[in-house]
Amino acid sequence: MAFPDSLILSADGTGSHPRFALLRRLLRRPSALCGLVLMAAILAMAVLAHPLYPDDPLDMVAAPFLHPGTDAAFPLGSDMLGRDLAAGIFHGARISLLIGVVAALVSLVIGIGIGALSGYYGGRIDAGLMRLTELFQTIPPFLFSLAIVAILQPSIATITGAIGITAWPGLARLVRAEVLKLRHSELVEASISLGASDARIILLHILPNVLAPIVVSASILVASAILSESSLAFLGLGDPNVVSWGGMVGAGREVIRTDWYVATIPGIAILAAVLALNLLGDGLNDALNRKGQRR
Amino acid sequence: MRRYLRRSLWQIGIVVLGIATINFFLLHLAPGDAAEVMAGESGAATAEYMAALRQQFGIDQPLYLQFLRYVGHLLTLDLGYSFREGMPVAELMRQRLPATLLLMGSSTALAVSLGCVLGFMAARRAGKIADTVISTLALLFYATPVFWVGVMLVMVFSVALDWLPIGGMTSIEAGYRGWALAGDVARHLVLPAVTLGLFYLAIYTRLVRASMLEVYHLDFVRTARAKGVRPWRIATRHVLRNALLPVVTTLGVQLSSILGGAVLVETVFSWPGLGRLAFEALFHRDLALLLGILFCSSLVVVFVNLAVDLIYTLLDPRIELS
Amino acid sequence: MRTLSRRHFLAASSAIALFIRSDKPVWAEDKPQAGGTLSVILQPEPVTLSPTNNMAQPTQTVAGNIFDGLVYYDFDLKPQPCLATSWDLARDGKTVTFHLRHGVKWHDGKPFTSADVKWSLENIWKTIHPRNKALFENVSAVETPDDFTVVLKFSKPSLPIFSVLNGVGAPILPRHLYEGTDILGSPYNNKPVGTGAFVFKEWKRGEYVLLERNPDYWDSGKPYLDRILFRIIPDPAARAAAVEKGEIQYAPFNAIPLRDVERFSQLPNVKIDRRGYDWISPLLYLDFNVENQYLKHQRVRQALAHAIDRNAMARIVWFGFGKPAISPVPSAVATFHDSTVPQYAFDPKKAEALLDEAGFKRGADGTRFAITHDYLPYGDDYRRTAEFIKQALHKIGVEVTIRSQDTAAFIKRIYGDRDFDLSLSWNSAFPDPQIGVVRAYWSGWLGTQTPWTNGSGYRNAEVDGLIQAAAVEGNPEARVADFKRFQQIVLTELPTLPLLEMQFFSVHAANLRDIVSQGDQTYSTLKNAWFDGKAKG
Repeated sequence: MAFPDSLILSADGTGSHPRFALLRRLLRRPSALCGLVLMAAILAMAVLAHPLYPDDPLDMVAAPFLHPGTDAAFPLGSDMLGRDLAAGIFHGARISLLIGVVAALVSLVIGIGIGALSGYYGGRIDAGLMRLTELFQTIPPFLFSLAIVAILQPSIATITGAIGITAWPGLARLVRAEVLKLRHSELVEASISLGASDARIILLHILPNVLAPIVVSASILVASAILSESSLAFLGLGDPNVVSWGGMVGAGREVIRTDWYVATIPGIAILAAVLALNLLGDGLNDALNRKGQRR
Repeated sequence: MRRYLRRSLWQIGIVVLGIATINFFLLHLAPGDAAEVMAGESGAATAEYMAALRQQFGIDQPLYLQFLRYVGHLLTLDLGYSFREGMPVAELMRQRLPATLLLMGSSTALAVSLGCVLGFMAARRAGKIADTVISTLALLFYATPVFWVGVMLVMVFSVALDWLPIGGMTSIEAGYRGWALAGDVARHLVLPAVTLGLFYLAIYTRLVRASMLEVYHLDFVRTARAKGVRPWRIATRHVLRNALLPVVTTLGVQLSSILGGAVLVETVFSWPGLGRLAFEALFHRDLALLLGILFCSSLVVVFVNLAVDLIYTLLDPRIELS
Repeated sequence: MRTLSRRHFLAASSAIALFIRSDKPVWAEDKPQAGGTLSVILQPEPVTLSPTNNMAQPTQTVAGNIFDGLVYYDFDLKPQPCLATSWDLARDGKTVTFHLRHGVKWHDGKPFTSADVKWSLENIWKTIHPRNKALFENVSAVETPDDFTVVLKFSKPSLPIFSVLNGVGAPILPRHLYEGTDILGSPYNNKPVGTGAFVFKEWKRGEYVLLERNPDYWDSGKPYLDRILFRIIPDPAARAAAVEKGEIQYAPFNAIPLRDVERFSQLPNVKIDRRGYDWISPLLYLDFNVENQYLKHQRVRQALAHAIDRNAMARIVWFGFGKPAISPVPSAVATFHDSTVPQYAFDPKKAEALLDEAGFKRGADGTRFAITHDYLPYGDDYRRTAEFIKQALHKIGVEVTIRSQDTAAFIKRIYGDRDFDLSLSWNSAFPDPQIGVVRAYWSGWLGTQTPWTNGSGYRNAEVDGLIQAAAVEGNPEARVADFKRFQQIVLTELPTLPLLEMQFFSVHAANLRDIVSQGDQTYSTLKNAWFDGKAKG
C-alpha cells in the first residue's frame, strides 16, 4: 500500500482513466465544483485578455470616473485616470495569477526542499534546518515581505519573490512530518538496501507519497499570495507598470469613499480567485482521501 | 522537563541572534539612509547638515562596527536609541505596546472564541445547511482583503450610521478619565478588532470544524457512542476537548502573522500600535527602531511557542516533552 | 470661508488686496468668540517639533503656532510686524536694524530679548538651518545695543532674507535653554518652548500633538481657541471621513484625497480654502537627466515637453488643484516671474517632428527609445502623475518604465547615485527665487549629493553667473533683471520642465472662522481663528 492510487495519478498524470476518477470525485462535491467553475472562469479571463482587449490596459481611453453600467463601451466603468476597468480586470487576471503561482512555486521549492532534507536525514541537518525554519517563522511574514519589497523596490519580480520567500515555513514543517512517517517504511528501507541514491529515494519514492498535502497547500499558497499582493499594493508597494488586481485595489483606495467601485471591482476579483482556490483546495483534500488538513 | 527547558532556551538564543543578524544586514541593504529621509522631508538640505545628521545617528561608522555595537547593546538588553524620534527605542515601544496588545488580544480572543463556537456548530451539523452557511461565511471572510473590510465597516458604522468613531484610540478632546476612558477606548476598539478578528475567525472556524470531524472518527468516540453517551456530551467532553489541541498550536503560529495584519488595520483605523510604527520605521530608515520591534516580536513568538508546548502537556498528558 | 472680521480687516495692511479676493460681503457684526478645541489633521507625523533643523511641513505647521517670528507675511507677501515692531534697511543694503517688541515672554516665563535673536542667528540660521545658511552667510556681525534692538551687519547685501523672517523661516529659539547644548539633540526639540500664541502641552507618538492657549500672549485677547489638537491619521480615506463627520475641523496641506474635495465643496458643513499657501508657492516639475544619451539633446527635452498635456494633467490628475506652470518662478512670485519665456504647448505632432529631427525615429515596433521615470513617493497624486506622463510619452513612441521606491531610495537615486532619466518632484519657490528656485539650476551643487538641489545635472556658466550676481545684488531692479534673464535661458535649454503651479488647499468646518488671515498662514499661527456659535469641546 505504498502507492495509494489517487496519489500516483496526480503525480504522473499520464493514466487517463484514474485521473478522471479524481476529477469525478472532485465534481461530486458541490463546493469543489463551484471552485472549479470559478477557477475556469478566471483562467478564461486571463486567456481572453489579449484577444478581447488588445490595447494597453493602462491607456487612458475614457472619461475619468465613469461608473459601471453608464457607458456600454466600458461596462465596468473607468478609474480616476480614465482607464477601462474591464480591460484592467482581464489583463490583471494574468498578472495576479502569475504572481500567485510563481510566489507559490518559490515557497514550494524552498518548503519541500527543506522539509524533505530535514525529515529524510534527521540529526544535525534536521536540527539546523529546523532552526532556520523557526527563524523565518518568528519574523512576521507580512512585515518581512514588506521590508524586502521596500528595500529592493517594488516590481513584479520583487513582490513575487518577497511573498514566496516568506511563506514556506509552514509547508516545510508539514513535508518534514510526512517524510518522517515514510522514512522508515518498508519501501524506503528496501530501496536503501538496494543501494539507491538518497536523491533518487527522495524524488522517486518519498515525495510522490506526500504529494496530497503538497497539492492542497499549493492552492492555499497561491490564494494567500494574491491576497498579500493586494495588501502590499494597499500600502503603496505595487508595480505601476503592469495591471494587477492588487495594484488596482491599491490605486482605488483613495477614492473608496467617493467611487467605491474602483477598488471594489478588483477586490471582488481577488475574492473570487481566493475563494476558488480554497474551494479547490478543500475539494482536493477530500478527494485525495485525507480526513482533515491542519494548517 | 528541566533539560527540555534548558535546551529550548539555548535554541531560542540561537534563533534570536539569527534574527538580529538577518534583520540588521537586510535592512542595511536598503538604499538611502535616515539622514536622506530627513533631508527629503525637509525639502532642503546642505552637505554640512547631512554630515551633522549622520554623525548624530552614528551611521557614518563602518557597517561591522555598527553591527558589533548593536549586538553588544542587545546582550545588555539595550535596544538602542531612535535618533529620528529623539527617544530610546524601548520607550517608544513601551508607549505603543498597550495599543498593540489590546488590538491583538481582543481580535485573537474574538477569533478563537467565536471560531470555536462556529466550528463546533458546523462540525455537529456537518453536511447540513448550518454547516454550509458557516463554512461559506468563513471562506468569504478569509478571501476578502482585510483592509477592504476595514474601510467598508468605517463607511457603514462610522460615516453612515454614526455609531462608532472613525479611528484613533481615544477621544482626546473629551478628556475622559477612569471608566469613561475605558468605555471610550472600547468604542474605538470595536471596528479594528472586528476587522482583524474576522480574518482569523475564518481560520479558527475551519480549523475547529476540520479537527472535530477528524476526532469524531477516532476509536474512543466510537466507543463512547457505543456505550450510549449522549451526542451533546460526546461533542463537548470528548471531541471538542481534543480538537482544541490544533487550535493552541495555530495560536502560536498565527501570533507572528497577526502583527503583519495589524499594519493594515492600524493604517485604516489610525490605531497607534506597533505594526504601524514598524511600517513607518522601515520607510524612515529608522533601523534601530525597526530592529527593536522585529526583535521583540520574534522574542514574543518564540516564548509563546514555548508556552504552547507546555500547555500541550497539560491538555494532553500523553505528550511528553523531550 | 472668505470673510474676515472687521478687526482684522482694518489691521491688515493689505486690506484692499483682501477685499478684492473676498467673494462674499464682509460681515462687520462678526465678533470673534473665545473658546473651543480645534482638531487639526497632521500628516504625516512630524519628526521633531523644532523648526530649526527640519523644514518638513508637519513640523512647521505645529511650530508656527508655538514660535512667533520677527515678522509674518500678508497676502502680498510683504513682511508685517510680529516680534519685531519695525526695521530699517541702510541705503547700501549692508546694515539691517530690528526693533523688538517689549514685554514678550517665553512660555517658561523668561523674557524674550535681542540676545535670543543674536544667538539664534549665529547658531542656527547661519549654521545648521538647511535653507537659510546661504542667505545669512554674509552676515559679518550681529550687534545688540540693548535688549530690544538687533543690528545685522552684512559683508555683501542679502535682500532675500526679508522673505524668510517669519516664525519658521528664521526660527528664534530660547537661548537660555539651548546655549551650550547639542542643538540637534536637545530634549526641547520635542517639547518646544516658544513665544507664540499656543503652548506645547503633549506629544503622544502615533496619536496627537496637543497645544494649549498661551494666557500671557503679547497680542492681548488672542488666541481665541483654548486648545489645538493635531491628530495623526495615516489613511487618506479615514482623514476624509473624519472631516466629513466633523471629528476634524481643519485639514491643511491637501490632507484629503482630491476627489473627496470635489464632493466636499457641495457640503454645507465644510469649506475649502485655497489661500494661505502663497508664501510657499509650490511647483511641480520634471527633471531631465541631461547626462542621459537621449535627454542630453535639447530638442529631445523640448519634444517631451510638447508631448505632455499639462492642462489635462491639472484637470484629471490634480482635479483642477493646479495650473500649467510657465516658468520655475511661479506667477505668484509676481515681482520676479517672467511670462515671456519660451512655451511648450501640447503638440504631439511637433514633438514627433522634433524627435525625428534629433535622429530618434520610430523603430519597427513603433518605439523610438526607452527611458525610466522615478517619482517622488509622497502619495497617489504623484504616482498618477507619473502614470500620466508614461502614457503621454508612449503616444510619441517613447517607452517609459516607472520605478517606485520610498523617499530614502528616491533621494539617493536622484541626488546621490544620479541613476535616473526622468524624475518628478515638487519644491517650494518661496517669495524670492534665491530661496527655492535657483538651487535646482546652480552647477555648484553638482557632486555634493545634496538633496533638493540640481537634479538634472545642468551646467551653464551664464546661469551660474546670474545666480551668483543676484545673490549679492543690492539693487532690487537689477536683481529682477538677473532673474528674468535666468528664466529665459533655463526655459530654452529646458533641463527641467515646470509642470504645474500646484494649488494647495485646506478644508475646514464651516463654523470655523478666520482660519486664513495671512499669506504664510499654513506655516504660521492660528491665533486669529475662532468657532462661530456652537463652539466645540
